[in-house]
Amino acid sequence: MTRARSFWTGVWAIAYREATVLRHDQAFLSMIIAQPIIMMTLFGWGLRNEPANVPWVVLDRSQTTASRRLVGDIQATGYFLPPVAVPDYPHGEARLRAGKAIAMLVVPQEFRRDLERGAARVQLLLDGSDPLTSARIGAYVAQVTARAAPGRAGPPPPRIDARQRFWFNRTLSDSHFFLAALVGMLLTNLCLSTMAQGIVGERERGTYEQMAALPTTALQIVLGKIVPLVGISLVILLVVQCAVGVVFGFWPQGSWAVLVVVTIPFVLASLAIGVLISALARSTAQSVFISVFAILPSFVLSGVMMPYELMPDGVRQLGGLLPLRWYQIALRAVIARGAGLVDVLVPLGALTGLLVVLLALASWRLPRRLG
Amino acid sequence: MSWRRLRTLVQREVRATFRDPFTVAVLITVPLAALLTFGFVLSTEVNELPLAVLDADDTPASRRLLADIDASDAFRVEPVRNRAELERGLVRGRTTAAVVIPPGFGRRAERSDGVRPPEVQLSYDGAEAVLAGNAEGALRALVGASGAALVGAGSAGGIALTTRALFNPTLDGRPFMVAGVFGFVLSFLTTLITAVTIVNERLTGTFDQLQVTPATAIEIVLGKLLPLGAVFSLDLLLMMVLAGIVLGVWPQGNVVVFLLVSMGYVFMSLALGLVISASSVTAAEAVQKTVMFSIPLVQLSGFAFPIRSMPTILQWLTEVFPATHYIRITRAIYIRAAALDTLLPELLWLAVFAALLAWLAVRTVEARA
Amino acid sequence: MSAPIIRVTGLTKRFGAFTAVDALDLSVPAGTIFAFLGANGSGKSTTIRMLIGLLRPTEGTIVVDDVDVVREPRRVRERIGYMGQKVSLYQGLTLHENVEFYGGLYGLEPRALAGRWRELAERFDLEAIDAKVEELPAAIRQRAGLAVSMLHRPRLLFLDEPTAGVDVRSRGLFWEVIQDEARRGVSVFVTTHFLEEVDCCDRVCFIDAGRVLADGTPDELRGSWEAAYRIEIEPAPGTQTRVAAMLAAHGLPVATEGTTLEVHLPLLEARELDALQAVLAAEPATRVRVDEVEMAEVFRRLTGGAAA
Repeated sequence: MTRARSFWTGVWAIAYREATVLRHDQAFLSMIIAQPIIMMTLFGWGLRNEPANVPWVVLDRSQTTASRRLVGDIQATGYFLPPVAVPDYPHGEARLRAGKAIAMLVVPQEFRRDLERGAARVQLLLDGSDPLTSARIGAYVAQVTARAAPGRAGPPPPRIDARQRFWFNRTLSDSHFFLAALVGMLLTNLCLSTMAQGIVGERERGTYEQMAALPTTALQIVLGKIVPLVGISLVILLVVQCAVGVVFGFWPQGSWAVLVVVTIPFVLASLAIGVLISALARSTAQSVFISVFAILPSFVLSGVMMPYELMPDGVRQLGGLLPLRWYQIALRAVIARGAGLVDVLVPLGALTGLLVVLLALASWRLPRRLG
Repeated sequence: MSWRRLRTLVQREVRATFRDPFTVAVLITVPLAALLTFGFVLSTEVNELPLAVLDADDTPASRRLLADIDASDAFRVEPVRNRAELERGLVRGRTTAAVVIPPGFGRRAERSDGVRPPEVQLSYDGAEAVLAGNAEGALRALVGASGAALVGAGSAGGIALTTRALFNPTLDGRPFMVAGVFGFVLSFLTTLITAVTIVNERLTGTFDQLQVTPATAIEIVLGKLLPLGAVFSLDLLLMMVLAGIVLGVWPQGNVVVFLLVSMGYVFMSLALGLVISASSVTAAEAVQKTVMFSIPLVQLSGFAFPIRSMPTILQWLTEVFPATHYIRITRAIYIRAAALDTLLPELLWLAVFAALLAWLAVRTVEARA
Repeated sequence: MSAPIIRVTGLTKRFGAFTAVDALDLSVPAGTIFAFLGANGSGKSTTIRMLIGLLRPTEGTIVVDDVDVVREPRRVRERIGYMGQKVSLYQGLTLHENVEFYGGLYGLEPRALAGRWRELAERFDLEAIDAKVEELPAAIRQRAGLAVSMLHRPRLLFLDEPTAGVDVRSRGLFWEVIQDEARRGVSVFVTTHFLEEVDCCDRVCFIDAGRVLADGTPDELRGSWEAAYRIEIEPAPGTQTRVAAMLAAHGLPVATEGTTLEVHLPLLEARELDALQAVLAAEPATRVRVDEVEMAEVFRRLTGGAAA
């Protein structure tokens, strides 16, 4: 048997063993089954950035049809709970301070008269604690007031007619934003923690020494561990995209083949990070610890949950070092926007570059550890 | 209860914890790192967002509009030559929004009779829902302001709206996140560390040995919680100071109340860690369980996503988590300087949870299989 | 025979469908060394954990030093010492810090504790050792574990496989100490799977698959087997028939194996010894070898019988 063939035979043997071990590992199985379900439920159904059920108060000093119509118009936007009337400013402010209301609309006494003259004014006070929600609420109310009809016939013509269109996601639904990158979160978790624990666990259980006594090299062992995880990752990719399609009707707009092409360097890069973690950790508990604290910032800084474009300089660039950042860019491009291979060359290139660097680091640190 | 025994237990816990460099490093750096990471990520402002622009009109009016948009900090204008290029930019995610000024814009702007107003087409990358929402707000404002200058005096109308935020007037994302990070760190890290240390003790047999000694369950629980509680309380102070110095976020309300409530919350989370440790055989398992439990918790506790926007069932569910109430209290004190009496319902919930967890923790230690 | 310090009736422990301990009855007299012997998985550790109140039995009663352990497990704690299978000294602390810790828990004043530890360190050959626990060799850790369990002078010692994984010299030392304690009136309940250690004990109980197979003194257990003592007699050439006849005349059952004679006896007492002496006196050239059957054989036989 040639050296190359015997090398790969060794790798397959180890890969087969790894897959068998994983199959019997309860914690692993529960992770790859329970986590996707939980995350899909949360992100597809539960979590939204868009405001809803917003409690607000109205200080209506005018008490006329006109003011009540304004309140009704705002209520009709559908974002608000029925308003609570307050008798004066201190009452309203107290409710805001107590967190019982997020917005207070103040309508002055002369509102109807001013409206007829075309110079109506109202004031909106917001609770700035949750700035995202407050900003949006402010914008929604502004839209209502901008559209409000004066006493004269016909609405005022807009100065510039801005026709808007939200591409790729007409309803601007938050869940599509999250679900597109869902696979990225799941695979990061899977690859990082399983790989980190796997190597450290072998060392702890002493099976590593057994393996080292066999005529296999460290490289074969690592490859043997990687192969089943790559396979499982691709399966998860396919299953999760299908599940999201079936449950939420959100199918990838682009090609599945491109998805697979983009996933492979990402998975390898994440596995390489897992290998690096295992080089740092001295026990399985430590490796799980470190993985967790590598995964969470990944989720935040990569832009899967909050847009990275809004992060300040420095922080944003830091996120560029994470494989998940580039993967989620590619994922969103392909799944939500129907991008082709040509369109994702930049993230693909970044992923490959990161992979090369990580592999170099891993192969530098690991032989020392595996000894 | 014997004070001597309690002192012995606390002394041992302190020695063991502080001799492990890994644990000490984790206990100090993780809360601070979390603060710095999360503190910076949320923003409502749009800054230098790439905006694709296709000027198919090329008149002074259209150029003026584009110049106005470019002059603002919100967007970075990137001219494109045709619609294909514009679409490519959106699909690739390079640009988040695009403005198309169709031919005829300048002509209509001059006429300004209100019948056929000049038109622009705004496109947003809807895949980036949050970003698109923010971009829309900024872009429309810019277009509207520019339009007011461009077009002749249009008819007056509409209602002038003055908007002001009472708390956090700049709508800065940092106070929101900082307040949430306290909740995150003190829920997650506390539970994690406790679960791991106790599982390790079960594995080495020292937990059993402890139960054969005269030490009572209450003493054992306190012996664990007091030292760790002290460390986390220190973390709390460090985080508060760091948030103030680096992020510029100081508590607006009563600091003493905040610290007291937070320390109570720390003890609760530590007790929870103890309870979780009972069901785990290995330390790795304890960590996995804590993580699996904590990630949905983070997302459901109001830390990042507004609870009111969730489906009703989930809203009920979130009320069950102590973290939800703690984060509410923290935000109320930190950002709004809320009065103590308005916080009473939340505090009551926390007190009930604390009592429940304390009882569970003692039962866990006493339990014989 | 002193009053039993441990009395167990009908002790049963089931984990789901699996019965770890099945209707155990035990009676341990005070001041004795009671060995609880069985293979791994036979229920030894489960039993001992129930005796000290770490595990709740499914059925049965346990009375330790007049305390109903099932109902009030805490009451006996001041009086018992326990050493589990995993030596429970805290890693990250030195041996002295561990001693301080356990001493504090048992309410020993610092001066009394120091004196007591000096005493124990001497007996266990642990003086001048004060490294961190994880740096101690296993044998020393085990000795230290036993010493620490005796800090508060318990009346009862529960030792779960104290000599597992320990070198021969330490094993000898252990049993010396255990027997020492027993002489001072401490009752010792020991589990082990080393059959040779049985002879150091006063009473032995064999357990297999959660059930008691046999219960008695080591000699009583041997006596249950007719071939407990195997005597090999090599007569000088030519004297075989005469020696055989002499042995038979004394009532010893003789079997011929080629050129040697074999006598199997359940007990080796004065009568049998006199017979052998007489034979040797008559035929000095005879070589005699007495083999006591190994407990392992006895045990194997008992377990074989139980399985049958």
